[in-house]
Amino acid sequence: MNTLRLLVPRIISRRASTLSHNNNATSQIEAPVVSDKLIKTLELEVRGNEPAVIKSFCKFAVTAGNHFGLETKSWSLKKPVHERYTVLKSVHIYKKHRVQYETRTYYAFLQYHKLTGSTADTLLEYVERNLPEGVALKATKVEVQEMPEHLH
Amino acid sequence: MMNLSRNIERVPFRSIEKQLVASYCNSSPQTQTKQEEFRALNIRNVKDPFQTRRRLQKTAVFPPRADQMPVDQDWGSVWPGPRSFHPATVPLPVRQGFTEKGAPPPNKFNNAELMKIPNFLHLTPPVIKRQCEALKKFCTPWPKALDNEDKIQKNFPIEVISSDYCYSSPTIRDPMARIITVKFKLASLKLDDRARDKFLRLVGPRYNEENDTVTIVTDRCPLKKQNYDYAMYLVTALFHESKKVEPWEEMKSEADMEIYCWENNASKKNIEALFGCKSEEIPNAAEYSEAVSHYMNEGENDYTISKYGEAVKKLLKLQGTN
Repeated sequence: MNTLRLLVPRIISRRASTLSHNNNATSQIEAPVVSDKLIKTLELEVRGNEPAVIKSFCKFAVTAGNHFGLETKSWSLKKPVHERYTVLKSVHIYKKHRVQYETRTYYAFLQYHKLTGSTADTLLEYVERNLPEGVALKATKVEVQEMPEHLH
Repeated sequence: MMNLSRNIERVPFRSIEKQLVASYCNSSPQTQTKQEEFRALNIRNVKDPFQTRRRLQKTAVFPPRADQMPVDQDWGSVWPGPRSFHPATVPLPVRQGFTEKGAPPPNKFNNAELMKIPNFLHLTPPVIKRQCEALKKFCTPWPKALDNEDKIQKNFPIEVISSDYCYSSPTIRDPMARIITVKFKLASLKLDDRARDKFLRLVGPRYNEENDTVTIVTDRCPLKKQNYDYAMYLVTALFHESKKVEPWEEMKSEADMEIYCWENNASKKNIEALFGCKSEEIPNAAEYSEAVSHYMNEGENDYTISKYGEAVKKLLKLQGTN
């Protein structure tokens, strides 16, 4: 367990480390060691009204993930979700005559596997900043944690 | 009398006045001819009604920049950020739009279709690679020892699932982002049978028997951090509560048991009395105990009855006489 814990990358908070560096001669202040988070999967759900834009975005996100050295995959729903609503054509009466409006929402999904917390933050920041207009993104993180001490 | 004399005096003066005006006008013949040609009614009292309009100077239209671009240019610096399509900057013969049958789609100039759709011209493969290389210094690698799912499961048994949302809304704070899901395998808590039974009763439908997983979803607090703390508090409380033994729990008798356990029942005592030794020493006792517990737990059906019959025959060594 301990050897594993050593393997987990650690971020020493910069402010604390500089503090300890300055006061090294007078007093020993131990820098708090913050372990990086471990994120098993980061799943992005992309939805929008233009399939071509979503396809291009997925291609970009997969390329970015590969450059970061991550296990990346993407897939999309074959059929869009049609949301229709039917209203009367006229303002008041004539029930037989109606108009139908519909919105088509196209879905695509992306998965990155085995990231550390800092990698996930960097990647998400990069990907979200390059999100095109009219596209919504939902990022789901599955973080893994050790069993707390009091539950052993 | 006085009035008349005055009128007489006035008449010659008027005629003289007229003559003077006429002679003054005659002195400048050019203006007179002009006025005769066209007399404009000057209502607003503008001094010079005949103003010449300033001619608009048209700037020279240069040929599109795309024509002069070298082939080996750095496209990332030509198109550095997201921007709507501009035909003179993009050196590609793109065509887009609907026309009559047989005609080609309209070209890139004056084409609104190309400007409507968001483009990815700022995210070409070399640009993505360059930006990722620059961002890599903020990343840390995944620990190599945790290479497969079993090791992750063993060392980091708790899964915390949360979502972030990014879309064009008036606020950046989506209320759905507060929801936290905590998942773990029940086996990772290392509870004994009694505690496990109590834990399952406390957890109720949040336990999935198929994959031995407990799922706790918290969304009652307004913030993600608060919901996470609450979920971990719930796990701790459940754990300690299931380990606690209340005085009334000690009073549970054989009649209150939810499953039949052969070890605690009369059947074991009976065969021990019959053979006169401990049940572990009796041959085929294990099979018999299993058959009895199946019979009691699953209920009476053809399969359990035949199993029970065979087990009894084996135990009492009646196989040959049959």
